[in-house]
Amino acid sequence: MKIKTLAFSTLESFLHNRLLLLVLVLALCLLTLMLYPLLQAKARTTGENQQAIASMVLEMISQVMSFSSGLGALLAAWGAADAFNTELKSGTVLAVMARPVKRWEFLLGKYLGVMLFMGCYVLVMLGLSYLMAWLAGVRVQASPLVLLLYPMVRYAIYAAIAMFFATLTNTIATMGAVFVIAMGVEFVAPDASAWMPKLAWLKSALYYVLPSTNLLTEGRFLSLRQASLKQVSWQEHAISLGYGLDFAFILLLLAMWSFHYRTLRKD
Amino acid sequence: MTTPAIEFRNVTKVYRKRTRGVEVAALTSATFSVFPGEVCAFLGPNGAGKTTSISMLMGFFFADSGEISVMGYPPGDVRAKSETGFLPENFAFYKYLNARRLLRFHYALSGRNKENVNLAISELLSKVKLSDFEKLKIGKYSRGMVQRLGVAQALLHDPKLLVLDEPTSGLDPAGRKDVRDVISALRAAGKTVFLSSQLLSEVEQVCDRVIIISKGRVVQSGRMEVLLGAADRVEILATAGSEGLEAKVAEWGGVTTRHGHGVTIVVPVDRKRELAELLWQSGQDVVHILPLRSSLEDLYMRTVGTEGGQA
Repeated sequence: MKIKTLAFSTLESFLHNRLLLLVLVLALCLLTLMLYPLLQAKARTTGENQQAIASMVLEMISQVMSFSSGLGALLAAWGAADAFNTELKSGTVLAVMARPVKRWEFLLGKYLGVMLFMGCYVLVMLGLSYLMAWLAGVRVQASPLVLLLYPMVRYAIYAAIAMFFATLTNTIATMGAVFVIAMGVEFVAPDASAWMPKLAWLKSALYYVLPSTNLLTEGRFLSLRQASLKQVSWQEHAISLGYGLDFAFILLLLAMWSFHYRTLRKD
Repeated sequence: MTTPAIEFRNVTKVYRKRTRGVEVAALTSATFSVFPGEVCAFLGPNGAGKTTSISMLMGFFFADSGEISVMGYPPGDVRAKSETGFLPENFAFYKYLNARRLLRFHYALSGRNKENVNLAISELLSKVKLSDFEKLKIGKYSRGMVQRLGVAQALLHDPKLLVLDEPTSGLDPAGRKDVRDVISALRAAGKTVFLSSQLLSEVEQVCDRVIIISKGRVVQSGRMEVLLGAADRVEILATAGSEGLEAKVAEWGGVTTRHGHGVTIVVPVDRKRELAELLWQSGQDVVHILPLRSSLEDLYMRTVGTEGGQA
């Protein structure tokens, strides 16, 4: 009950965060602008180029999803850091923590609030993608559940990373750390360019330590068309999602541990 | 033996600056107790360690050594917190909420049964005189209104212990009187109140116990009537003063004031008989002899001096 109260209060605080809302509105405007080339492509469709246009439209939708996905990761990290640090900065945490609330409950409530917000974000972005596909007259082959769950798990990882760093430092430093990790993930991915042989061990080590968010990109399912590639089984989905959730869970536990020993004062 | 509502035993807290290796002792072997039903004032100059002590009491900071118990539990324990109401200094709220919604939020966090919550909130808002503003967003409240709302949220779940850090800060005289009345009502209801305040005269009116802290050390602690009750001076009102009286009184360390209806003389209590006899021998009437009790301000100034400039 207390966790639910904290989660909904966090969600409400996001809905009153003007900066966050401004970013969302700008993103929405940008996505709406992308409808223009999409409709243009649709208008050029003929019997001969139908296949190519459909492929192009799907690629565009995939890019829209990538954009919203990148923005989502940023929002998840920023939301988590801001939800935590704003409480400290304003001093509201003192009144909240004076209530019979355990520290882990507070952190979990904040985290779930971020995830509720990200859930709304994913739903809106997914709806927009389907709208774009419908306008362009193509069908998204990937299951909506996949397109919902994958970004949510990825955002859960970024929110947990940010939450952990937020218990140690301020929002700007937290975002810096998240950015470095996100970059690191790209550099150590198996398909990334090779490192110097001397540092191969470091690349392997970082690959195992850093979250493999590439595995959790829903974009790779968007461009799939029937019979073009082997369908991914639900078992494989479960393993990928389980991996992501496990990573997020560990980070969240670390954040709870760190917060447990942190002094609380108005910053 | 009664378990203290608050107990500090040899509590030490040192702040360390990680980068420079500087250490500042915020609290050194602080020992004191507050018993159930008492209203206790926690006084000291700025930087004496009051907020540090209150933060440790609420489980926000951790002591380096020593033991703290709140309602018989370690600080920060949910069992202790469920029986404690807290008003931090410069209380902060979610500004986008109104008073009723904020109190509902805090009520939900207190884990209490939701029955009659609306009624309880209405009563509280009425008690702190915010009923007319309950729909106004807190961001639009004045400092005094925010402080009154803070008092309401501290009382929200009918706690046995109230920890109030500067409860009258930002309030006008009428608001201060309201808070004083609330504290008096809490005392009458048998609640324990632990409050820090800068306003010594107000504290003196409502408190049973005083703890004075200076430079991180408890320098005075005890029941108010014991600390203030030992009159060390007497005031004698006589019809007139003989010649040379002022010089004699000054020699004894006293003060003479002549006025329309005679002369008032204040001398140390051990000179009372000598002065009375001197007045009688010179043919004066002694109208009254009053033992002078120290005020809390006197006690404070004697204990802490002018360190920090104020309480």
